[in-house]
Amino acid sequence: MKAGILSIALALMLVLSSFLPLLADDTGTITITMTGADEISITLSKTSWGPEDAAGTGIVSSDTTYLTSPPIEWCKLTNTGNANVNTFVVGEDAKWVNNSAYKWTLSSNGTNGDNIYGLWFRISGDTTRGPNHDGYVPITTTQDEFWPYSGGSSLAPGDTKQFGLKLLTPTLFHGGREMRTHITINAVAA
Amino acid sequence: MRHIKHLTGLIATLLLVAIFSPSPAQAQSFSVSPREVKIDNLPPGEEVEFNLTIHNKDNVSHTFILTTYNPDESQRRHGRDQFPHNSWISFPQQVEVQAKSTTVVKVKVTIPSNQKWAGKDWEIWLGIKPETSDLLVVNHCIRLLVSTSGEVRGSRNVALVVGVVIGILFLGYGIYYSRRKAKPKHAHR
Repeated sequence: MKAGILSIALALMLVLSSFLPLLADDTGTITITMTGADEISITLSKTSWGPEDAAGTGIVSSDTTYLTSPPIEWCKLTNTGNANVNTFVVGEDAKWVNNSAYKWTLSSNGTNGDNIYGLWFRISGDTTRGPNHDGYVPITTTQDEFWPYSGGSSLAPGDTKQFGLKLLTPTLFHGGREMRTHITINAVAA
Repeated sequence: MRHIKHLTGLIATLLLVAIFSPSPAQAQSFSVSPREVKIDNLPPGEEVEFNLTIHNKDNVSHTFILTTYNPDESQRRHGRDQFPHNSWISFPQQVEVQAKSTTVVKVKVTIPSNQKWAGKDWEIWLGIKPETSDLLVVNHCIRLLVSTSGEVRGSRNVALVVGVVIGILFLGYGIYYSRRKAKPKHAHR
């Protein structure tokens, strides 16, 4: 009989002890802080570019460099939000619009090769940045600093930066194919 | 077949031209808020929800694509580690926002119930960009900072179930033992 009473008592203790931590849980509070009044917003004065030969045919040649016009003040980026932002740039492979299986691979260092193309940007005022110390920085498939760089100041509301692009076409590619790519500029709170 | 190969070679080596397509310009004037979301004391096994707002400032409606991005250590807040699994964050993949209007998007963060996710500080970015064929695309990113509490919510439930099961076993045994003890006395009479 004693064993029976002991078992029942143990059972009650076990059930109660299981509930105790649950009761204690109610004191934990999940907090969500939303920095709400501020908004992220950057705008670009231009978003399209069709590099082409002097005749304006919309055709590019192999192993050739093309610059936006004007070269380094082609597009203006403006911080139109009300928060300081850091900006980053990332590119991607160029794909044939009719069949994305054919592509030009974006170079990891701005150089070109067979079906490999290079993309560069240069911010107006930058004269030493980049591997060639001429202000031009390769755009790759890895997100990299656009502005600021090397721990400089972020873009305050209303700040602007002008920049241009450079395209280096592949040494060899299939002709007559319309290629399309994207360059993404990411903006995040500083 | 040989002819086709020869022709392909000719195209590749002689024409050497391609069209690097310019597309019609589309405005990308929009904003997102908040700029940062900080979730503290989230127990593994729990989920939380918050809203973000997309404001389309253009005169035409746009479809916006939502993605997550894991920034490098140098791009994260100090002391924050990379968010372990993007799939723990759920939101609509794309949202249409009418011209000159705003849309609220619900984002849910769910941390699996596991002790190894307790007491962590993570960062991940939520990116919002317009669907466009333009060369340049603007992607506005919200910093999502998630800190988990030291206690695991789900393991408590397991403990509760185990405790209740063992308790029932003891209770059953107690009742069975009491009845078994009582029965022989009646049998002898």
